[in-house]
Amino acid sequence: MTLFAWLSSILVAVIVLTVTAFGLWWERKLAGRMQSRLGPTIVGPIGLFQPIADLLKLVQKEPIIPQRADRALFWLAPPLTTLFALLVAALVPFGPKLAPANIDVGVPLIIALGGLALIPVWMAGWASHNKYALLGAMRAVAQSVSYGVPLVLTALVPVILAGSMNLNSIVAWQHRHHWLVVWPVFLGLPAFILFILAMLAEANRIPFDIPEAESELVAGVSTEYTGMHFGFIYLAEYVHTLVGSAVASTLFLGGWDGPFGPSVLWMVLKTCLLFSVLYWLRWSLVRLRADQLMALAWKWLVPAGLALVLLAAVWTQTPWGR
Amino acid sequence: MGYLLDGLKSMWTTALNAIRPPFTQEFPKVLRPHPERYHTSFALLHDETGDEACTGCGACARICPSQVITVKLGKRESAITQKKRGYADDFTLDLTACLVCELCVQVCPTDAIVMLKVPELPGFRREDLVLSMPRLYENEKSKPLGWSNATKLMAMQDPKAGAAKPEPSKETAPAPAAAGAAS
Repeated sequence: MTLFAWLSSILVAVIVLTVTAFGLWWERKLAGRMQSRLGPTIVGPIGLFQPIADLLKLVQKEPIIPQRADRALFWLAPPLTTLFALLVAALVPFGPKLAPANIDVGVPLIIALGGLALIPVWMAGWASHNKYALLGAMRAVAQSVSYGVPLVLTALVPVILAGSMNLNSIVAWQHRHHWLVVWPVFLGLPAFILFILAMLAEANRIPFDIPEAESELVAGVSTEYTGMHFGFIYLAEYVHTLVGSAVASTLFLGGWDGPFGPSVLWMVLKTCLLFSVLYWLRWSLVRLRADQLMALAWKWLVPAGLALVLLAAVWTQTPWGR
Repeated sequence: MGYLLDGLKSMWTTALNAIRPPFTQEFPKVLRPHPERYHTSFALLHDETGDEACTGCGACARICPSQVITVKLGKRESAITQKKRGYADDFTLDLTACLVCELCVQVCPTDAIVMLKVPELPGFRREDLVLSMPRLYENEKSKPLGWSNATKLMAMQDPKAGAAKPEPSKETAPAPAAAGAAS
């Protein structure tokens, strides 16, 4: 790796973790306002240092291992969840030059890494030796496998239209033509919405959070975890959502493309906006039941995704889509 | 389809909420105005001669539904009027189980116990919420007293008092009170 690649990957990791930390604050603030509350106000100005206080609290907590847990897997799983979530961030281009891993199979690799993030979740659920954790992990696996299909299908739409699997090329194509949600709108917008839904399900967020449904499964996979290991799982969920919004804005919202100013700024702005919309969804919608979740994936999202892929392929052959 | 419509509806609600000012306030820093008849903690009063008003009769302890009041009766000569009368040698009120029903105030024959307009501060130990006799007399001096006492409350119960007269009130809507009781 060149020095530039090192530097840009460090920069991207710093951006992602900083935005995640303040995303935590922003989510709690937004959630508070949406429920007519104030949100965090005590720590720092307008509660801005709340994530740091949370982190300090988590680090201080005693790590507890259940007696019959699989110790090695139990310890290994949480850091791995965060690691895999962060790995995806390396592939997202934050600027025309600022793409730490600018590879030609970016889109499939992102989806593959997203699927890989499932393994530590299953590890955690299995190693905990707890029925709730195991049930949560099983649900997470079933859900991710189901929603991986529409995720791939909808991610194929920009790939077909831009004629490249390189994320940077897709953004460059949108820079030359239009952002995908703008034109062709009948392809870009539905694909974008479907992608967001599938991505939310992959990240196990509300309304698709049955793997950790509090009212049924205590806390699902993270039931037995304490302290910083719980923190890692928690962090991974946030990073997953954040990186997912970054990928969605890269594929559909034109990524780093903006009318003026530095490209990194536009990328961060779009990601944060999408992140906020996801939290808006989170605090508005109720949880789907497990069978409803599967029905939604297989009866609606997969056929719709297939139709979109077909339409996109036809569109590229028409005179306007060339 | 129903889920989708309901989802959009709730998203509209949350979006409106996000624009509206928040309903909650930073509690210890910002305090909402209390209604006029707000009552929380207790105080024991002195009568007009400056003597302790409580005669130690124990009516409050008997009527208390959760039995949080203990009164120890003592008889001795008053230091002020030189007459022999009953005193509370000890008076304890445990706020941890108090229902705030105000019955003890209502039955007091000498208007000795009243309620306060301000709550006790939360503490770190259970004993912090047990009001001993010195604390009850301290509350009389240091904290704003509530609206009611036994005379007023009993007057409200009296059917002969007739139609309730609205009491002069600034903060709340006019509440019915017994004639002659409001002051």
